[in-house]
Amino acid sequence: MSNNNYFSGLFSGIKSLLVGLGVTMKEFFTRKITEQYPENRKELKMFDRFRGRLVMPHNENNEHKCIGCGLCQMACPNGSITVTTEMLDTEDGKKKRSLVKYEYDLGCCMFCELCITACPQGAIEFCTDFENAVFDRSKLVQQLNKPGSKAVEKKPVPKPAAPAAKPAAPAAQPAPKATEVAAPAEKKESNPETPTTV
Amino acid sequence: MTLDNIKTLEPSQLRAEMQGLKAKGFDFLSNLIGMDWGEEGGLGVVYCVENTSTHEQAWLKTATTDREQPLLPTVSDLWDIANIYEREAYDFYGIIFAGHPDMRRIFLREDWVGYPMRKDDKPEEQNPLRMTNEPLADDTTQYDVQADGTVKTKKNIVFGPDDYVVNIGPQHPSTHGVLHFRVALEGEIIRKIDPVLGYIHRGVEKLNESYTYPQTLALTDRLDYLAAMQSRHALCMCIEKAMEIEVSERVQVVRTILDELQRIDSHILFFSCLCQDMGATTAFLYGFRDREKILDIFEETCGGRLIINYNTIGGLMADIHPNFQKRVKEFIPYMRKNIKEYHALFTGNVIFQNRSKGIGPLTKEQVISWGCTGGTGRAAGWANDVRKNHPYAAYGKVDFNQVLRESGDSFDRYMIRLDEILESLNIIEQLIDNIPEGNYKEKTKPVIKVPEGTYYQAVESSRGEFGVFLESKGDKSPYRLHYRSTGLPLVAAMDTACRGFKIADLVTIGGTMDYIVPDIDR
Amino acid sequence: MFDFTVVTNWIDALLLSFLPGWAATLVECVLVALAIITLYAVFAIILIYMERKICAFFQCRLGPNRVGKWGSIQVLADVLKMLTKEIIDMKNVDRLLHKMAPFLVIVASMLTFACLPWNKGAEVLDFNIGIFFFLAAGSIGVVGILLAGWSSNNKYALIGAMRSGAQIISYEVSIGLVMLTMIVLTGTMSFSEICQQQADLGWNIFRGHVPAVLAFIIYLIAGNAECNRGPFDMPEAESELTAGYHVEYSGMHFGFYYLAEYLNLFICAGIASTIFLGGWAPFHVPGLDGFNHVMDYIPGAVWMVGKTFFVVFLLMWIRWTFPRLRIDQLLALEWKYLMPMSLVLLVLMAICVSLGLTL
Repeated sequence: MSNNNYFSGLFSGIKSLLVGLGVTMKEFFTRKITEQYPENRKELKMFDRFRGRLVMPHNENNEHKCIGCGLCQMACPNGSITVTTEMLDTEDGKKKRSLVKYEYDLGCCMFCELCITACPQGAIEFCTDFENAVFDRSKLVQQLNKPGSKAVEKKPVPKPAAPAAKPAAPAAQPAPKATEVAAPAEKKESNPETPTTV
Repeated sequence: MTLDNIKTLEPSQLRAEMQGLKAKGFDFLSNLIGMDWGEEGGLGVVYCVENTSTHEQAWLKTATTDREQPLLPTVSDLWDIANIYEREAYDFYGIIFAGHPDMRRIFLREDWVGYPMRKDDKPEEQNPLRMTNEPLADDTTQYDVQADGTVKTKKNIVFGPDDYVVNIGPQHPSTHGVLHFRVALEGEIIRKIDPVLGYIHRGVEKLNESYTYPQTLALTDRLDYLAAMQSRHALCMCIEKAMEIEVSERVQVVRTILDELQRIDSHILFFSCLCQDMGATTAFLYGFRDREKILDIFEETCGGRLIINYNTIGGLMADIHPNFQKRVKEFIPYMRKNIKEYHALFTGNVIFQNRSKGIGPLTKEQVISWGCTGGTGRAAGWANDVRKNHPYAAYGKVDFNQVLRESGDSFDRYMIRLDEILESLNIIEQLIDNIPEGNYKEKTKPVIKVPEGTYYQAVESSRGEFGVFLESKGDKSPYRLHYRSTGLPLVAAMDTACRGFKIADLVTIGGTMDYIVPDIDR
Repeated sequence: MFDFTVVTNWIDALLLSFLPGWAATLVECVLVALAIITLYAVFAIILIYMERKICAFFQCRLGPNRVGKWGSIQVLADVLKMLTKEIIDMKNVDRLLHKMAPFLVIVASMLTFACLPWNKGAEVLDFNIGIFFFLAAGSIGVVGILLAGWSSNNKYALIGAMRSGAQIISYEVSIGLVMLTMIVLTGTMSFSEICQQQADLGWNIFRGHVPAVLAFIIYLIAGNAECNRGPFDMPEAESELTAGYHVEYSGMHFGFYYLAEYLNLFICAGIASTIFLGGWAPFHVPGLDGFNHVMDYIPGAVWMVGKTFFVVFLLMWIRWTFPRLRIDQLLALEWKYLMPMSLVLLVLMAICVSLGLTL
């Protein structure tokens, strides 16, 4: 009996080993699955729901949708969002909150999407960039609103509205028309009262 | 479910009541939760015991108002797992369990000052960043209440001077994370294992007390990262039930499918890591090759691969992706084919068979007493599947088997997982073409406040029963949010399973137990 | 067949023409040593590259492909890294033994490497008890491993070293017996004569048919275990003992163990091809004279290295397929299976030879 076990065990053992060897030999000749990154950078497309990095989309007029309500900042469990706002006088005499600086710390973001869920305006979203490595931690702190950008107006505003806001908030530069986009934004840098320099 | 009838006991009545329950067949201690109910309520413990044949649960609580030396009687002699749970309650709340043989801290450093989960504790003030090595005591204290009411302390030895103690971890390739076993060896044979936990303890439960409900969701994915979907499902379900939100059929079905995909993902990783631990590196990569397909499915629909972040209170973050069904349907036959390859390459291998059969067996009594749910428990013949015993989501409507085995050794624990992959594929196959129409998310208020009360929800996560215990005072943050860790009982049972086996078997047993460290430490 | 003695004799004559006898011998020794060390390093690099590529292909991967075309100079970069790494001096170790151990291992490995017959007339260490010498020199390596484990003052290293001692000493029994089996067939222990015989009469594995094939298999298993390679890599067992006996070594000291592991693999395969597969003897099919003639045009060194790499591939295939054994199973495999079988084979071969049943 024990002799039988000895030999049958030996032969079944050898057979199992040969089956295993067969499997690996088959895989030896199958197509390999390695991704050729970064050579395939061009073809490599992330899924559109992939959460790479928080961005604030701007339209062609350098306008974003953020109204500076700060709900995202409150929703963030890690405090990776800092929203700086200021109060502006609108032309009809009311006070209106306006975004000065939207700071986002990628280094402590945990991609939970709560900020996006919280945003009533749909002003922020995750983009699919994944090459987020930098050499310096401070570079992970990003300003999401572009310099010179402003919140998109809900209603079409009559033209004189623009100069009215101009002296108070050069950073939130009012509606530069499509024809004069970049130039005025640069001029504003020289203004000493610019509140963007925090 | 809402726990509105937790039985309150005086500490003096507790042991008699517990002994009675144990005798009545309540042999599974599923939860032992330390609590701080403030000055009047005192420090206490919530117990949940379950009858393993009828699946009936009994909830009890007890408390003491003495905050200087809060003494409660131990139940560690009735349920083995209480040994660990009571140490956790001692660590965080300072509750001393009289008669417990090993009152050491379990997660925090031994030189930690204070008990951080107490509502009046100030952990930052008392505990500066310490630059010294963590002391690890070789003895421990037992507190016994004498007949006259005084407390007598006694020293118990963990490791004696003659023990040849080898540290497996905290940096070790086969502990799958920062887990630390102190192992007493005799030659190659293991005499005793003492797990040292807490290297990745992040205080999730403490953090939750200052988070709003939507924020707490973000942390569940980070407990057991191979059961992210299921853990978050449990928390969402618990909050939804507490707030009486009915989620649509569609959400139920999608959640079920994703839970099962997550289970397959976890079991494939289990297979891979076990192979890697046992030296079969090639099989390891085959597992990763297949897991990639699931991760792609997750990424396309949920936007994340490991930290999936998909369930939310009232439904899902987004509707399923248009490609979802197609991809899943491609995956099912692909996986069935590759399971055969796993079996040919690894399961049948004589070396693996000899290294796993009869190694580290746990009997049915032992797994119940240690609370080892999931595959580890089912390998020993304990039918503990929450999906069957307390159906949730769409599990009541699908037809599937609860895979059970008898001997509870490493080989059975391994086979259970591979068979469960096939079972999960069956479940997915039944549901994938029948996703009903409906909302993917119910409207919730912008600020979520859970009505006052105590709630509990368990799900079958990838490696056992994952429970969410929520006590709310009606605020926007939970008063206490406790997670029943699936891995903690598994690590606790390692000592029982490994004694008398060789150091190489420790790796096999640990691998087949299938614990995940961030879930143990929380 | 090209006889390499033509070259060696020419160099000898050249040196003797302007040097006294002792100086010529000295120069020759230095030249041979340089050649051996160079070959040693070159083969190590080839083997490491080969292992990484082959293992990758078994695992559905591509392997190194960043440094150089197809990652071809990856290993050179690694060697450079290893050479420039600091050799860390540790407290509480037995300094002398700790530093000596890697040299013992590498010396043993080089000595056995020198035993390989590269071509007709190109044997370095060749004398009438060649196989005996090979076994004896190979055993020095285990001393290095044991010393490494002991002197490191580390529990993992000690367990690894003890495992290694038990393993290597056990498997030497099988290797010795299997070699004895083949010596019964060849009737000589000199590597050059064994090869010459196979060139004349056919490869031993064909001559000795059944017992020789079985002996070949046993040799492969036992040889693999001798090299501490998977599935017998218990002394290192990275998932149990992190790195086993060389856990406390760094820089080039670790590099020596690493080199020796790969070269031992090569030597094990080289001896297998010498004893079983004809060494430098070309493949001949009796009766097909044209074919045999073509085969003779391929130089002996190519045959030798080609066969060796074939065996190396077999061993890598095994390594990258199987899980690791446990130490008691490993010893059971040796003492309960391999050793009795090799004893039986020895007897079987003796019977075959005495009855003239060999081909």
